[in-house]
Order: sequence, then structure tokens, then C-alpha cells
Amino acid sequence: MMLKAIRLRCCDNFVEMKILVIGLGNPILGDDGVGWKVAEAVSKFLTSTPCLLQKSDGNKIEVDCASLGGLSLMERMIGYERVILIDSMETGGNTVGSVRVFPLAALENPRFGHSASTHDTSLMTALQTAQALGMDVPSRVHVVSIEAKNVYDFSESLSPEVERAVPIAAQKVLQILKEEPI
Amino acid sequence: MAQRITIDPITRLEGHGKIEIFLNEEGDVANTYFQIPELRGFERFCVGRPVEEMPLLTNRICGVCPEAHHMAAAKAADAVYHIDPPRTAKLLRELLYSAFYVTDHTTHFYALGGPDFVLGPDAPVADRNILGVIHKVGLEIAGKVIQARKYGHTVVEMIGGRKVHPCTSIPGGLTKGITEEQRKEIEEMGKWAVEFAQFSLKLFNDVVLGNKAYVDLILGDIYTHRTYYMGTVDENNKVNFYDGKVRVVNPDGKEFIKYAPKDYAEHIAEHVEPWTYLKFPYLKKIGWKGFVDGNDSGIYMATPLSRLNASDGMATPRAQEEYERFYSTLGGKPVHQRLATHWARLIELLYAAERWVELATDPEVTSPNFHAIPTEKPTEGVGVVEAPRGTLTHHYTTDERGVLTKVNLIVGTTNNYAPMSMSINKAASSLIKKGTVVTEGMLNMVEMAFRAYDPCFGCATHSLPGQMPLQVTIHDAQGNPVKVLRQFC
Repeated sequence: MMLKAIRLRCCDNFVEMKILVIGLGNPILGDDGVGWKVAEAVSKFLTSTPCLLQKSDGNKIEVDCASLGGLSLMERMIGYERVILIDSMETGGNTVGSVRVFPLAALENPRFGHSASTHDTSLMTALQTAQALGMDVPSRVHVVSIEAKNVYDFSESLSPEVERAVPIAAQKVLQILKEEPI
Repeated sequence: MAQRITIDPITRLEGHGKIEIFLNEEGDVANTYFQIPELRGFERFCVGRPVEEMPLLTNRICGVCPEAHHMAAAKAADAVYHIDPPRTAKLLRELLYSAFYVTDHTTHFYALGGPDFVLGPDAPVADRNILGVIHKVGLEIAGKVIQARKYGHTVVEMIGGRKVHPCTSIPGGLTKGITEEQRKEIEEMGKWAVEFAQFSLKLFNDVVLGNKAYVDLILGDIYTHRTYYMGTVDENNKVNFYDGKVRVVNPDGKEFIKYAPKDYAEHIAEHVEPWTYLKFPYLKKIGWKGFVDGNDSGIYMATPLSRLNASDGMATPRAQEEYERFYSTLGGKPVHQRLATHWARLIELLYAAERWVELATDPEVTSPNFHAIPTEKPTEGVGVVEAPRGTLTHHYTTDERGVLTKVNLIVGTTNNYAPMSMSINKAASSLIKKGTVVTEGMLNMVEMAFRAYDPCFGCATHSLPGQMPLQVTIHDAQGNPVKVLRQFC
């Protein structure tokens, strides 16, 4: 069932750096749930290839899926040094299924996709609040986004173009984890 | 002459809330439209699934108040199976729900509604957030907010099995109980929450009520409407978030009706407008008379202010004191000034915290009797709770196997769609006049009209990158957009 959260720890003997990969979105709202699907693919890949990440084998990687934003998302990120967010994007201008990678700080407007909560604040503001409070929030946050099409009709299926983007986006996440050029 | 505006139905489904303000030839406001995107096909998605999945599925409808959907769904599923959960199950569910309320109301006040008052309605949009509040009032407050949220999340996880999206409520009760050790921890956190709520009310008293300009703003006509008010009450007509009867009072504060949740369809109907897919609920016996105030208009409101207006008081002592102070300060019941909702929300915050402690100290809360096995044939059921932003109704019908054949939901924000639309119209008409230069501060004051309602825009999180969930557009008499403000609501 898609509602089950995925947790995976890789190379548990090493805790030099804690990394969190989060698939964001609503898993029952069509393309909106693509972040979850990519996170599941990343998790599956890491499980089957536990020693793949040789360059970063001192790292502890956790993969999770969440429907969070703003303060709640910031709270989920406490204790990690690096975070990769995977989210759907709806620009209407980009090709459906296209994948983009960028640092969170590079966003012109931080109130992006699911990273913001309509009920409280943007992730950037939430992270700045946490930093002001001396909380242990990540210094590096990357976003992997997938251009979506259908995010208003309840469904557990992705559009075909978005479905095809899942392995591509998962590969991007792995590249970031391995600190390879993207 | 006001221009007739037609909004293309294809464009009306954009992924963020929209306020469209249309000016007439003279430059005054001719009309306003407030559009909330609607997610489609939930009923179709649910039909064919076992009813016991609903507490898990419905809490995915929206990322803002999944706990409310979880509870309403669980209660509707109880009703479908004709099962009355054991007292311990009810105590635990309400305890979880009280902790959720503390988290939710705290977040709204400090991150969304409060900044308008702490920083002022004219403050730059970039500062009108929780960081701005920290800069103005001090870092210590943010620490308390984060602590309140942490305690709320912890209780939800202890009882609900996981943070934010609980998963333990099933027909007949819960899948697990709590230990004495957990109970003690919950009690201690609840006591802290009571102090925090009192601190928040004092802050409101000092910062807002201590400022004449803000008091004038709250009491002013711009943000005032005389409507019916809805809220759930216990057997003593005191506010209750988890259970009771739905009570509606008229604009004079007199009880209009009190009904059992299962009878909601006899009392609530929904009006359709051509410019939005979202429906406007109204009181059936009064009827839909358009977007107008008064005893003859079936429009009602369901918010913290409504709940206070629709009740005879709060069931906990400190919240009751604040309830009495609220009405004596604002000139008696009912209070029609929408901005007073922020104050009402803090009184509810205190009630939720006190109730949290009450429930955590009930001798039966740790009993292992937290579930009763349903034995009757499933048919049909309604579950109602008070979501932070309005009365939430779930109505399910199943076949004899408990497989859903029909689903109907009236969610919190939907109740308030008509009054929110009226509030926006009144604020815009009062502030935007011929010859005035429309400023960001002015548009923020239009937004304040609906921010008081704490509308749930869970679906509006699908914003375009670089854009925010709410867009305010002003059109001239020819319908051309002349000013656009994108705002994070």
C-alpha cells in the first residue's frame, strides 16, 4: 500500500554525516505523489546496492516519504546535515516529466511546491527560524523536481510522462548522494 | 456602469487561491470573487474500498489537518458499523485531538494570523511571518512555539501511532492504548501547554488589545458581518471539538437549531455559483438569499468565533474565564467582528490544553479496554468533529460487506466559503475607492478578511515555482488586469 512510509539506513556503522532523502506530495493525488514514487525507487536501489555509495560510505542515509511543508517539514529535517527533497512541480511551461535539480537556496521564491505549507510558512523561513533558535538543521538542501500534469484528481497512478521520469529523477538523487556532477 | 464579468471555466482551476477584484468605471469595487481550487474525484476514489480504510485515506486529503479527517472518518466508520467505542477509546481519541488543536491553533496564531498584529498590517510581506515575530517580540517566543508543536506531535504519535498522520483509529475504537508511563508524560506536556496558552493570551492582550489602533480595526465595520454561527456542543451546550450535537445560533445569538450529526442533510444544503466548482453550504430552512447578512440569509459561519458564539461557554475553568472576558470586552454575545476570531482561537487553545490535562488524568485513560469488535451489519453512518477551521462532516454508505458505495464530505473551510467571500468583498469595497492608490498593505488588509477564517488551502500547495498560493488581481472596468499581487496566505 502506498501509504506505508519507507525507512532505510545504509552503512549504519558510520555516522559521520546524516543524510535524509524525502519524497514529498500526496500519494493519492495523481502526479502530486511522484516524489513518493521516486523516493521508493531510490530506496529500492540503495537496498539492492548497499555499497554503491563508495565515495560517501561514511554516510548514514535515510529515505522517507511525507506530506509535509513549512514548519513540519523543517521539524522532520532536524538532525540531518544534508537533505534532498523530491517534489512535483507545475510550471505549465516545462515539458511534463522533465526533471530539474537545484539547491533550495537557489529558488527565487522559497514558497515552492510542497516545501511551503499554506497553513504556516515557507520552508526557508522555517529553516531560518530554526537556525535562529540554534536548532540542528541541514546546511545543504537540494531539490529534485519533476514537472507534473494531473494534480487535482484523486488517483494512485501517475501520468505516463511522469511515470517515465521516475527512474531519471531517482538517478539524479543518487548522483547528488555520490556528489557526482549533474 | 459595472461591467459584466464572465470567468472562463477552463481558467478557474488554477493551482492557488485567487481573489479577483473588479472595478467599475468610477474606480470603485464592482465585485469580488474568491476562488479556492477544488480537488476532484475523492468519492470515486473511495467507492469500492473497505470503510475501515477511510481514517487512513481521508487524512491524505489535505496536509493541513489530517488529524481532523482521521477522527471524523473514524467516527463515521463507527456509525457505519453501529458500534459505540468504549469510553477509553473516546478519551484517547479526544486526547489526541486536543493535542492536535494546541499545535494547530498555535501555528496559526504565531505564523499566520499573529504577524498582521505583531508587525502591523502594513509591514512588508517578507517580514510578515514567524521570523518577523521573532525579530519584533524576541527569540524566546519561537522556542515556545516549536516546543508546543513538538509536544502536540509527540502526543499524536503516542496515541495515533505516527506523527501528523495518525493511523490507530478503527471502527470500534483504537488499535492500541497508552501505558501509565506515557500517560504521565502526556500529562506533564499538557500542563506546559496550559501555561503556554495562558502566555499566548497575555501576549494577545498586551500586543493587540493594548493597541487602540488594532482594537479599532477589530471592532470596525470593515470586518463585521451578522450571520448565523455553527459549532459542536456537549450536553451542557459547552464547546466540544470531538463529540456532541451541532448547534446553530442566529445573528441575535438565539439558538436556531441543534441537531445530531446524522441529521446534517436535513439542515444543510449547498448552493452552486457558475464561477466556482466549490459549493456554498447554507441553512436549508432559511434558504439561499445571495451573499448577504442577516436573519433572513441562510449563510452561516463555522470557526473558533462561531463555536464560542454557538455555545453557552467553555467546559474548562480557565478557558471559561477567558470566554467571559471576551464577551464582556466586546459588548456581549454574539460577536460579529471577524478579526475577533484570532482572540477566540486563543481561548480555544487554552481550552484544548486544559482538556488535554483533564483527559490525561482520567483514571480510565490507560485501561486496556480501547476497542470493541463490531458485530452488526454495516450500513450507513455520519461522523462529525470540529476541525480547527470549521465543522467537519463525513458521511459514508456501504454494502453489507462494509465496502463503500457512497461518500460525502463537508469540510471545515467549505462551511465558510460564503462568509469568506462576503468578508473579502466588504474589505475590498471599503478600502479600494476611486482615486486611491492600491498598496500592498491595503491588499493585505483584504487578505486579513479571510485569514481570520484560517482557510484550509491544503490543495493550493501545488503552486507554480516562484509563485505563492494566493493571487490577488485587480481588473479595471474593461476586465483588464491592472494590478496583480501574489501573496502567501
